[in-house]
Amino acid sequence: MMKKFRPGVVALTIYSIVFFGFIYLPLAIVVIYSFNSNPIDMASWQSFTLDWYRGLFGLKDVDPSLGSSAIYVESTDQLLKSLRNSLIVATVTTIISTTIGTATAVAMGRYRFGLRNTYQGVMMLPMMMPDIVLGIGLLIFFITLGFKLSLLTIIIGHCTFLSSYVFIIVQARMAALDPILEEASADLGANEWVTFRKVLLPQLSPGVLGGAMLAFIISMDDLVITYFIAGTDSTTLPMFIFSMIRRGVKPEINAIATLLILASLVIAAIGLYLRTRRVE
Amino acid sequence: MRRQRLFLVGLLSPVTLYLGFFFFGPLLIIGVFSFLEPGLYGGVEWNFYHWNYGRIFGWADGVIEWYEPIYLTILFRSMLMAVFTVIACLVVVYPVAFWVSRLPERMQLFFMFLITLPFFTSLIIRLYAWLVILKPSGVINDLLLALGLIAAPLDMLFTRFAVVLGMVYVMIPFMFLPVYGSIERLDRSLIEASGDLGARGWQTFLKVVLPQTLPGIAGGSVLVFIPSVGNFIIPDVLGGAKGLMIGNLVEQQFLDARNWPFGAALSMVIMAVVLTVMLIYATKVVRAGQQVGDA
Repeated sequence: MMKKFRPGVVALTIYSIVFFGFIYLPLAIVVIYSFNSNPIDMASWQSFTLDWYRGLFGLKDVDPSLGSSAIYVESTDQLLKSLRNSLIVATVTTIISTTIGTATAVAMGRYRFGLRNTYQGVMMLPMMMPDIVLGIGLLIFFITLGFKLSLLTIIIGHCTFLSSYVFIIVQARMAALDPILEEASADLGANEWVTFRKVLLPQLSPGVLGGAMLAFIISMDDLVITYFIAGTDSTTLPMFIFSMIRRGVKPEINAIATLLILASLVIAAIGLYLRTRRVE
Repeated sequence: MRRQRLFLVGLLSPVTLYLGFFFFGPLLIIGVFSFLEPGLYGGVEWNFYHWNYGRIFGWADGVIEWYEPIYLTILFRSMLMAVFTVIACLVVVYPVAFWVSRLPERMQLFFMFLITLPFFTSLIIRLYAWLVILKPSGVINDLLLALGLIAAPLDMLFTRFAVVLGMVYVMIPFMFLPVYGSIERLDRSLIEASGDLGARGWQTFLKVVLPQTLPGIAGGSVLVFIPSVGNFIIPDVLGGAKGLMIGNLVEQQFLDARNWPFGAALSMVIMAVVLTVMLIYATKVVRAGQQVGDA
């Protein structure tokens, strides 16, 4: 019986290895390119260099042998400012959307009320709505009501859909909890708030933390919605990279990309570590 | 009891106010704008104006507005490209999901992690990687030229192929997770029974495995189709003029042409497509799943 399936299993294994190559090779290529000193054709290897990284942070003097076109990122200040904007947006968005999403998940998990199914459906909508529709909807909304496009409008926009992501994750955690501890707490005379604060929230914290991390990552990375509702001086990091790429492929983009890939690896590793530690 | 009620209201009021204002507000206003008259210099006139839809669907008579079939063509092309993306994702992911599901549990978790990891890497960076790979002096062309398989670089970038490839690459986790979930729940004894009763491998696959994993396939398809059909970043980076999708048209109306009512009408059309797909999923697939569960 097993022997009959062997060739199939081998083929399946080879195919799966190719598949993981397909997922990771493109990223690996960008990382390799970021260390290639060839300024004209990044696909042909010249020698190892850190110049593109230095250029990114304005540390690179113009080296005449490389030719002036290859040296600088448009402006290091702009890059750092967009990074700062992204961090501000993602941090505030995470706090607001985690609060809203968690409160909703607790309400849905612990109470029976008439509109419960409606709320459940409505919470799915912002996630399923195409980004472009939400983006232009928010744009018209803000302009018509006289909001000035800024970091604030980006934050407002991000929270509309990220609250739902947090909600889903916290709700999953909620479903796995045994309500008996809360009942005990209520029987012992604690009111709703104390029970929530001292009994429910500590048990929920892995879910809340997971939801917050997801919200932070998606907010940092969002391009479509931000693209429509960002003002002229509220460029975020993905928008900065997007406009760089639109103007043409440059070696410095590889360096930014490599740093971002590294950052996401670190965040993912931290997430994984926290998750396994909680389980133990 | 009163206190409980008060606490519930306290928990639900943030989301109610927030989504009511900042989610349903924008949706409502798109609907309103799609029926307004575009102003001369980018603004709007507050008159009822159905020609925005007439331009798309064909009742614009050429006096006030012109009907241009290109909009419907691009809409259908976008839907087709989204369908291709769904099919390609499914075909690529299915065998891998099967392979992962047969591994020891710790290995399963590791490979799930590997598949979701790129999701945490910046979208624009992942698209940029393909830009670098597909361009005329990119990795693939250099390799093929060096091997002597082609005489001149292939035009892979700025084609519809490149757009679908980019969408497949980005959407893979959305297909993998639901499909893997349904494969993992497969009843293995049925597969063995089918083999014992003399069914060939492909017969077992078509009659036993595939029907059981259909809910996962349907769920994954919806999750891939929806962000694909209205996408504008991926066609913008990889598609060029040939790979234009309906999302790019909407963007142009807002940022270049400054015809907001027409852009609003186009995005209402995208929304209608998406809601239709969700409705079909909710009524057909979820109900079918419940019936299977009952039986």
